[in-house]
Amino acid sequence: MSITLDQVTKRYQGSPVVNDVSVEVGEGEFFVLLGPSGSGKSTLLRAIAGLTGVDHGRIALHGRDVTHVSARQRGVGLVFQNYALFRHMSVGDNIEFALRVRHMKAADRRARRKELLRLVALEGMDDRLPTQLSGGQQQRVAVARALAHKPQVLLLDEPFGALDAKIREELRRTIRQVQRELNITTVLVTHDQEEAFAMADRIGVMNLGRLLECGRPDELYARPATRFVATFLGAANLLLARQTANGIRFGATPVNARALEKIDSGREHEVVAVLRPEEVELAPTRDNLRVSYLGHGVIDEMVFTGAFERLRVRLADGAADAQIARPGGDGDGAAVLDVTRTQHEQRVFPLAVGQSVAMGVRRIHVLPTPLSSYTAVAADQPAADALVKNPLLVELANRMKTRIVARVEPGLANPSSGRPATPISGVAVIAPHQDAGAQTGRDVIAQIEWLLHNGAAEVLVLPDQLVPPQRVLIHWADDAARRATLAVAASLLRHVPAEAVYVGILPESAGETQRPAGMRTLLDARSEAQAVHGLEMRTELRFGAAADELHRQLSESPEQMLILGISALADLRARFAALFASSPGYPMMIVHRPASPTNP
Amino acid sequence: MSSSALRQPSILPGFGLTLGFSVFFLCALVLIPLAALVLKTGTMGWRDFLNVLFDPRVLASFRLSFGASFLAATLNAVFGFVIAWTLVRYDFPGRKFIDALIDMPFALPTAVSGIALTAVFAENGWIGQHLAPFGIKVAYTWIGVVVALTLIGLPFVVRSVQPALLEVQRDLEDAAETLGAGRFTIFRRIILPTVLPALLTGFTMAFARGVGEYGSVIFIAGNLPMKTEIAPLLIVIKLEQFDYVGAAAIGFLMLVISFVMLLSINLLQTWGRRRHVAAGR
Repeated sequence: MSITLDQVTKRYQGSPVVNDVSVEVGEGEFFVLLGPSGSGKSTLLRAIAGLTGVDHGRIALHGRDVTHVSARQRGVGLVFQNYALFRHMSVGDNIEFALRVRHMKAADRRARRKELLRLVALEGMDDRLPTQLSGGQQQRVAVARALAHKPQVLLLDEPFGALDAKIREELRRTIRQVQRELNITTVLVTHDQEEAFAMADRIGVMNLGRLLECGRPDELYARPATRFVATFLGAANLLLARQTANGIRFGATPVNARALEKIDSGREHEVVAVLRPEEVELAPTRDNLRVSYLGHGVIDEMVFTGAFERLRVRLADGAADAQIARPGGDGDGAAVLDVTRTQHEQRVFPLAVGQSVAMGVRRIHVLPTPLSSYTAVAADQPAADALVKNPLLVELANRMKTRIVARVEPGLANPSSGRPATPISGVAVIAPHQDAGAQTGRDVIAQIEWLLHNGAAEVLVLPDQLVPPQRVLIHWADDAARRATLAVAASLLRHVPAEAVYVGILPESAGETQRPAGMRTLLDARSEAQAVHGLEMRTELRFGAAADELHRQLSESPEQMLILGISALADLRARFAALFASSPGYPMMIVHRPASPTNP
Repeated sequence: MSSSALRQPSILPGFGLTLGFSVFFLCALVLIPLAALVLKTGTMGWRDFLNVLFDPRVLASFRLSFGASFLAATLNAVFGFVIAWTLVRYDFPGRKFIDALIDMPFALPTAVSGIALTAVFAENGWIGQHLAPFGIKVAYTWIGVVVALTLIGLPFVVRSVQPALLEVQRDLEDAAETLGAGRFTIFRRIILPTVLPALLTGFTMAFARGVGEYGSVIFIAGNLPMKTEIAPLLIVIKLEQFDYVGAAAIGFLMLVISFVMLLSINLLQTWGRRRHVAAGR
């Protein structure tokens, strides 16, 4: 491997800017780090270059551990957004700088300079000053300069940021050519997804300091695993759908379009579906559709962009309506879909604003995230209203681009009120101490049990007034719940810039003989989290009663959260009652997956 | 037609007015007094003029004035640069305070700084008493003159280098580092060339200020003829003896030497700049 990053973490004033990033870049690969500003991608690049130290983790270049090697000795070439050319030196002197520093002979220097100038198509410009060149030419000089000392790795930090569109395209081609010709491992940092698509062999998408997903551009576009990647790489409509044994269903409308991936097909549950704007077909009536019918809508907005027409279509169909989350998740009721059409489609079926159309779906992709939406459940209306406004819940829903639905369920406080009319979908959210619950004497555990009995698979217990957690503890009662717990943790941590820690707990009685087995469990958990869920987490081994140990750690400092996986409902009361004994000051996510033969 | 023909090509209005003011101010404040100086000098004959010029006492004072100023400006160029670097590159408690302190020599009446320096550097002063055992006398020697001129010139260097240092982007140093340059090389090949013009400007101003300085020097210099007597003091002495023409002659000479030196530094700078541009052609 050309570049190996292992759990690289960089903190600024305590909070992680680069959070547990592990990735490997192959020999001669063109790797693009893509992310919005502030996602930590530039910091990561500087860490690879050696200009920024890391707080944790290892960096290796071509098998050589360079974590503590200075930038001088790393043998990398770095190109900056603002060129960073030495203005008092000519183009030739700029390029020869690295060679002069290495005391190379003048004749050799001149030969290398000539070769590099040819490579970037700037022959004969040796004696110019940087100020006499255009922006594109200056950046070519910067590339040539970065390659002069034959670095093993070329790093490009938003190299096209300061250039206009035409020049940008040309320079992209040049850099790609140079990269292929030299077969040099290259990492490019950008916030422009188009640029990433155009240049990358492989893209790594970063957000909030985490490397969310890595993959070939076409793979990432067709099959993103996370909401963020789905919406950041191109436009996407995020919809809430139900996955049944027969396929995907939007509200009352079954959609026959085949989902690209089947997840957890055992039981019916809510899922997040990605619908690309170009995968929507519009027709005058349902019968005219050649693809699976989604619903009816009214054209809200039309924008002509040259090759494509961009439309916003407001869904009119009542049943589908309720089930669809708006992209952006501002949840003001009516759902709007982004649709793009080609010139050809426009000619076949011309449209105007206000016109009613039938919509069909060519292809949808279901995200493998277990956290689809939030349902705030309370025994009475005021409590439900208060819970929906919980700042942490609102923050989570915003970051996950999903919605919060309030539901009043008297059954939560009083078992005699019966079961809910429809199963609870998504993550059920409750406040730990509701007055109604206190009156009837039902404790939080009983409420959680009731919710898990009635359709919920995850319950979030959320105390009032909380800021997003800095540290998330992960624990599961038995191995049957491991996979689901890790999936929930991975999904949640993509949206919260917190540190993930798996706490493995052995009983107090366990002697030294059991320690190696315990350590192995930790390592297995860590590698599974990384390999299957893309989640980087730390591990800690503790001794004692699980509930006491967790409670002690969670009480140590605020801004912590617990994700607890169980497979047997009874375990909650039998083994973890201590967590609920005192009024919990920390949020808890209870993940419940019954043990089954197919889910070992 | 006629109005458009009279219109100035500049986009800024009021060119005529501003030029008028500039010329008027320069004349009233700089050119006319200097011309008077030259005319006054002109009333004496060549012989008298040369006599004043080659008076050993006058020559000694010139050597001291220009020598000490040059030395002080050089010291300032080095240490002023270090101070500016510290202020720009590091954040430490009291940075703002030190930054404000730099300007104090501007604001202080020069006589006050002169007296303060004398008190401190005199043989029984705070610093002077520690230097005396080593046989170093500061007050009432040429060293005292250099010390006073260094104090006076410091803000000029710091204030002209500071903005230039701010402009040296961190990226430049980062780039040089990834290319394999060590700290000293980065300083010598990247930072210094970038701030050199500003440093030269600061040096020039500190030097010019030193040549003309009077107030602070006369207290610490001791004013021994032939030894620690600066040229401006000699002018005052001549005036006190009602030798106006002699005073004018010394003043004229200082004017000429200063002008030649400042002009040559400026030309040097322009030449340096043009050399770079020419290299690009």
